[in-house]
Amino acid sequence: MTALLAFQLRRIGRNRQYLLFTVLLPALFTIFFTKIFGAQAGGAANYQDFAGYYMTSMMAYGALGAALGATIRLSFDRASGWLRQLRVTPIRPAQLLAADVVVGALLTLPSLLVVALVGRFVNHVQLPLSTWVGLVAVLWAGSVAFVALGLLVGLVLEERAAGAATGIIGVALAALGGLWVPVEAFPASMRTVAHAMPSYWYAQLGRDVAAGTGLPAVAVGVLAGFTAVFAAAAWAVSRWRPMYAVSG
Amino acid sequence: MPEARALEISGLTVRYGATVAVDDVGLRLPAGQTVALLGPNGAGKSTILNAALGLLRPAAGSVSLFGRSPQDAVRAGCVGAMLQHGGLASDARVGEVLRLVRRSYPDPWPLEDLVSTAGIDGLLDREVDALSGGQRQRVLLAVALAGQAPLLVLDEPTSAMDVEGRRAFWTTMRGLAGRGHTIVFATHHLEEADAVADRVVVVAGGRLVADGTAAQVKSGTTGRTITFTAGPERPVEGLPGVTSAARAGDRVSLTSIDVEATLGALLAGGGRLPDLEVRGASLEEAVLSLTAPVPSGGTR
Repeated sequence: MTALLAFQLRRIGRNRQYLLFTVLLPALFTIFFTKIFGAQAGGAANYQDFAGYYMTSMMAYGALGAALGATIRLSFDRASGWLRQLRVTPIRPAQLLAADVVVGALLTLPSLLVVALVGRFVNHVQLPLSTWVGLVAVLWAGSVAFVALGLLVGLVLEERAAGAATGIIGVALAALGGLWVPVEAFPASMRTVAHAMPSYWYAQLGRDVAAGTGLPAVAVGVLAGFTAVFAAAAWAVSRWRPMYAVSG
Repeated sequence: MPEARALEISGLTVRYGATVAVDDVGLRLPAGQTVALLGPNGAGKSTILNAALGLLRPAAGSVSLFGRSPQDAVRAGCVGAMLQHGGLASDARVGEVLRLVRRSYPDPWPLEDLVSTAGIDGLLDREVDALSGGQRQRVLLAVALAGQAPLLVLDEPTSAMDVEGRRAFWTTMRGLAGRGHTIVFATHHLEEADAVADRVVVVAGGRLVADGTAAQVKSGTTGRTITFTAGPERPVEGLPGVTSAARAGDRVSLTSIDVEATLGALLAGGGRLPDLEVRGASLEEAVLSLTAPVPSGGTR
């Protein structure tokens, strides 16, 4: 299991595009937008609010992108025949899935940490240490919803379609969930859409923890619900079409 | 290993939708045998091997490997396989792939020896995505051999290899058989079956149509081929010894298990046999004659 985990991590580590989109891009967004819009906020208190808010959004954005990007690689491994080859070795499909879940969860950490560090040291977001730890922890835990979603997409779609779908899903989750533009700036109808997005609740989780108001029960419940639905669907799909099936 | 057969298939039937791909096939492989599954494309060779590995669910019949279910045997490390639709992990190096697969088996093949046996010297640090077709094939062979599994199932292992690679591969296979591995491989290269296998099983239309040594398949089933020129007025049906007759224009070709009797009957009326040729059948002709007259069921 640890060998499989190390193997998978090493493979992703070689993929520069993945690191660029999941770590570097959210970090740059954090700096760019905070410097532009935060400067217009007027007043130190408003700047702090804005910088904290935007940093949390970008942590959520980076983490969900990383979780999706890591787990849909399952579809690449099916398309190449690697999963089929592994099926005729003693390595079990369940071990493989477990490794991919752990890899997906681990890989959200760099995005979360890098954006948090940028928030702290470049944008000067001020939070108590325990809040920093809580913020990273809660967003890390919440990323499991997007790990499950990525697995589902990877199991359902073929290689190219899965790659494209992840891009679209990532953008939709970020835009409609209010990660790029705050939901408060949305028209009322779009706000309803935002509330149907797991990404909205995911960011909300982080915002409430950052604001020191504790864990929001609704956000936790909604995210847990999404996670359960995605995981159940992924499980059903893997029963219906085994991972080692010839694609196409 | 327990005293069970390496592979035992009985009554195997596999359907893809309405198509019967494999029809009531039975096959028993004692440990240590090298068996070629020979037949044209679409004959059902891959389907038989995939069923043996538990990669598909048969409509009927049973498969056991060393007395276990395919899945249990695979998980216990009793099987190494090279698949037609198998592949390697992207963004990985050859050495990493081999290390991962080797350590999943209880008694892996020592790496250095594996590398030279599979002919992948110098490729361990190579990116999987940078391999040529032939190199890739040899790496997949190394993956199949990595666990030093007692049963090796190889589906068209030489399809992307050139003549030299193929000959090297045969030498490897003979070496493995010498070490006591049971090997079953699918091929449509007759020379390959002839060169490597103790036993040739001919598959056509989803059924086994012949089973024996290469020599037996060649001699026992087909006899010899008699060809001559004759107009349509000359009847060629009902001659003694003839198992099949075909006409291409003026050219008649008969397959006979008793050449003397056939020729005797042909020449009895004082008729002539212009351009007469009598040839012993090659393994290729043997297989063609075995696989041609099978009714349509199953082939695609």
